[in-house]
Amino acid sequence: MLKGPTGCGKTRFIEHMAYTLNKPLITVSCHEDMTATDLVGRYLLDADGTLWHDGPLTLAVRHGGICYLDEIVEARQDTTVIIHSLTDDRRVLTLEKKNEVVKAHPDFQIVISYNPGYQSVLKDLKESTKQRFAALDFSYPDSKTEVEIVTHEAKVNEATASILIAIAERSRNLKGHGLAEGASTRMLIHAGKLIVRGISLPEACNIALIVPITDDLELRDSLKTAIAACV
Amino acid sequence: MPVTDPTNRADLGTIQSKLVNTSIDTPETRSVFPGKWFNHWVQCCNRLSSAGYGFNVLSAYIHFAPKIAQIIDPQVALDLANSVSKIAVKTGRIEAESLPYASYVAANLLKDQNSFKAWIRIIERFISIAPESTFTLLDKMESLLSSLSVSRLESWILAGIRSSGGNPDQRLKFFSLETPESNRWLLFESGTVNFTSMAPRLRTLIRAIWNIGPPLRELPFSGTNTKNIKLRSSFGRGIIRLPTSFSGFEHEQAEDLYRACITHIGAHFQFSGPSFPVKGLKPVQIAVISILEDARVENLAMRKFPGLRNLWLPFHVAHIPNSMSSNQALMAPNLLNKLALALIDPEFNEINAWVKKAKTKFFNSEKEWEKQEISRELGGILGNDLGQMRLGGQFDMKSYIVEPPYRDDNWGLWDFGEEEKQTDILEDEQMFDSIRIEQQLDDNSDQPDQERKETDQDEELSEKPVQLEIQQSEGIPIARYPEFDYLTGRERPDWTTIIDYRPPIGSIKKVERAIEQYAEVLKRITSLIRAARVSRPNRSNRLQEGEYLDIDACIDAKINQRMHLTPDPRVYGKWIRKDRDLSVLVLLDISESTRDKVFNSKESVLDLEVHATALLAQAMSQLGDPYAIAAFCSNKRDDVRYFRIKDFNEPFDQKTFSYLGGLEGGFSTRIGAAIRHAGSQLKEQQTYRKLLLVVTDGEPSDIDATDPRYLLEDARRSVKSLSNEGINVFCVGLETKGSSYLGKIFGRRNSIVIDRIESLPQKLPLLYLRMTA
Repeated sequence: MLKGPTGCGKTRFIEHMAYTLNKPLITVSCHEDMTATDLVGRYLLDADGTLWHDGPLTLAVRHGGICYLDEIVEARQDTTVIIHSLTDDRRVLTLEKKNEVVKAHPDFQIVISYNPGYQSVLKDLKESTKQRFAALDFSYPDSKTEVEIVTHEAKVNEATASILIAIAERSRNLKGHGLAEGASTRMLIHAGKLIVRGISLPEACNIALIVPITDDLELRDSLKTAIAACV
Repeated sequence: MPVTDPTNRADLGTIQSKLVNTSIDTPETRSVFPGKWFNHWVQCCNRLSSAGYGFNVLSAYIHFAPKIAQIIDPQVALDLANSVSKIAVKTGRIEAESLPYASYVAANLLKDQNSFKAWIRIIERFISIAPESTFTLLDKMESLLSSLSVSRLESWILAGIRSSGGNPDQRLKFFSLETPESNRWLLFESGTVNFTSMAPRLRTLIRAIWNIGPPLRELPFSGTNTKNIKLRSSFGRGIIRLPTSFSGFEHEQAEDLYRACITHIGAHFQFSGPSFPVKGLKPVQIAVISILEDARVENLAMRKFPGLRNLWLPFHVAHIPNSMSSNQALMAPNLLNKLALALIDPEFNEINAWVKKAKTKFFNSEKEWEKQEISRELGGILGNDLGQMRLGGQFDMKSYIVEPPYRDDNWGLWDFGEEEKQTDILEDEQMFDSIRIEQQLDDNSDQPDQERKETDQDEELSEKPVQLEIQQSEGIPIARYPEFDYLTGRERPDWTTIIDYRPPIGSIKKVERAIEQYAEVLKRITSLIRAARVSRPNRSNRLQEGEYLDIDACIDAKINQRMHLTPDPRVYGKWIRKDRDLSVLVLLDISESTRDKVFNSKESVLDLEVHATALLAQAMSQLGDPYAIAAFCSNKRDDVRYFRIKDFNEPFDQKTFSYLGGLEGGFSTRIGAAIRHAGSQLKEQQTYRKLLLVVTDGEPSDIDATDPRYLLEDARRSVKSLSNEGINVFCVGLETKGSSYLGKIFGRRNSIVIDRIESLPQKLPLLYLRMTA
């Protein structure tokens, strides 16, 4: 289970993990209408008759790979319980319709992401789901690392990256004081990319950091002043 | 012949009429009242003359009307005669005499027919509301209209009328600009950048940059004529005080000044440690040390935030004005200004040896800037030098004003020893209050709850009623809300203050009895609420009938068909609401009027309210729905009393019973403010729907609001703004003579009226129906 605010590198971490382990990665973005069938697979009809179609989860279980359920709280609780048999010592997936029990491939791994910030009491994981995972807590990296990340990803120079990180800290200070979340590393990279393409730093920050995160004009004004102070 | 002789009235009249006639018919008047207008003009003058308001009224009109005709329009000038008559009849001759000149001033400033007519209408209305202040208002018209537009003038006038609550003396003071209030509202209406408009932005700015959230306060408004006084911000004991406005700065510049100010004080919070003891220092040394300390924290801040330089530097104006002699330029304050600039701008080159020395010394010790003592040390030496230059003697601490304007008065840096503390006690108490307010406003923490819990424990230990009464009378101001003025169509910010009072303790029997007595009603209410489905709709699949085809069910059915099995006909799905995701806040009106009896009943309105609430609360707690109960009454706009009887996370237990049972009717019904506050509490709940249930007997009123429509419109506005934020406001009205107001405030579909407890179950379904619609 990967926990942490949006844009701090959860998905990138999983991609890197798949790359390092040399395993296929199957990502499922969860949403409210997702059913267990969407994960497991279903019979489809064609001219010759019925045809079973493995869902993304079954694919990963059968052939070995990492199944990444992004934003799992968005899915309904009765959907998420189907991973229970996979995530204890059984490591099997029951395809009820097909009358089949799929034993998990040794390379099969399951990862879920979970952003503790914005779910309400109603949108939370079941206790029994939570307790099947080992969790990694993600947050924004320390400023030195973040400078490195932004420099690498956006191809800006180190001085610019440092300014961007200083700006991000300003907006992260406002978390809970008007902002639900401060500017993420992802946003900084976006801003950096704009700067590389020739947009001035204050303007790039306005486009990529301020306007997306708040509609409050007074907050925008404060952030603008804070950005000006960092430059 | 002496014209003042009263016996010769006739002669006096002829002289005056001659004078009048010669000034009515002049080439000038003929040119501004061309053609048929001239006849009208003469008629108007004759009418005023024959009405007998006196010579002065008439001559004022004759003198100024042609001028107004020239600027605006002849018709407007002629209409003015009517207004003059009205004012003469309603108030008096002096006022009537001053109207033509004020009109001329207004015409000059407004220059537009529509605005001028609007202005006249405002004045005419003002005359009938506040005759005693008419002269004062007209007298001040020039300065008022030079900073206010007509509609802003109207709002300002209304603010005066509303805030003085029908008291002529207070009104007069307001319109003479003698109260801090009137000056504050004038600033507000004139739209200049001021504390109220900047505070939210400054709060987030200091939070963003320094990650601190000290309370921001307006500097107390002292004196009446603040235009020429240079006010400086101040900080101390964790509070920042900022001037209402900075005179001489406008628009962007003023906004930047506030920003510069808050970031500078933030730098003090960050880098200035314990305060310096004053002991043994000369005033000039204190000033120099302060400047060094300012420079030290600013330089440290600019290391981290280089852009702050661009914010601060423009406000330094240390260049010698041309008119100043070189002698004056050497005066201590000027040297200090230069010092301030030299220490934060390395590029500033100053020829003065003392400033040069200070600059070199300061920048040479750059490595020691982290240490606060460096300011004290260097400042002591430099201040001494200044003394030896024989400049220190001229230095007058009392008249010294810190420059540039964004810097604070530096009092927060100094420890003045015991003396000062004693004089400050009163102010300290006020501050303590404001800290408490701030904590509650800013942190959204559980501070008030904690406070409440402590006192609860006390009360369990000793149940002495006397003690309780003392506690009960102390309220804590917790929030301020705007109020809507329908005449201007705008909200007046921070107009009402919500004060949190501890509810009085009463007998729990009252509530227990109600629950017992109405067991049958309670059962019906419970099942009604249980049946209500108020939540986000969810997909429900495999149904006999529904809104869409359930694709999985369809495939299964088809497969079964091909396998020659009986297909399952449940191939549909639909969106349904399965449970209740709803939080409710019950807001009880406990104003004086709730002591009245309910229509056709022996019960008082308050009793009925308490019974109904007890039953609803009991039902909701049986079902586990989150809900809170609060009660309110008001005693003018700065004391809207709010009693939290049960919070969302508290159980419905004996304590709540006793609070409910202890409610007593009193004071007035400023319902809009209470609704706003209850709404702000509901907003924090995370349920799908939020319901504010107002239990009241009707008409909003307060002793400082004389216009009956005013609070009604404000209440309506508050309901509307809450529903814009996704909070349903519903009203359970008790049948009295005031209940006809409910429809106007809440909307007919959002209110039910009951006359006895038994009718509650019949009416409640309507409420839940509205929630699910």
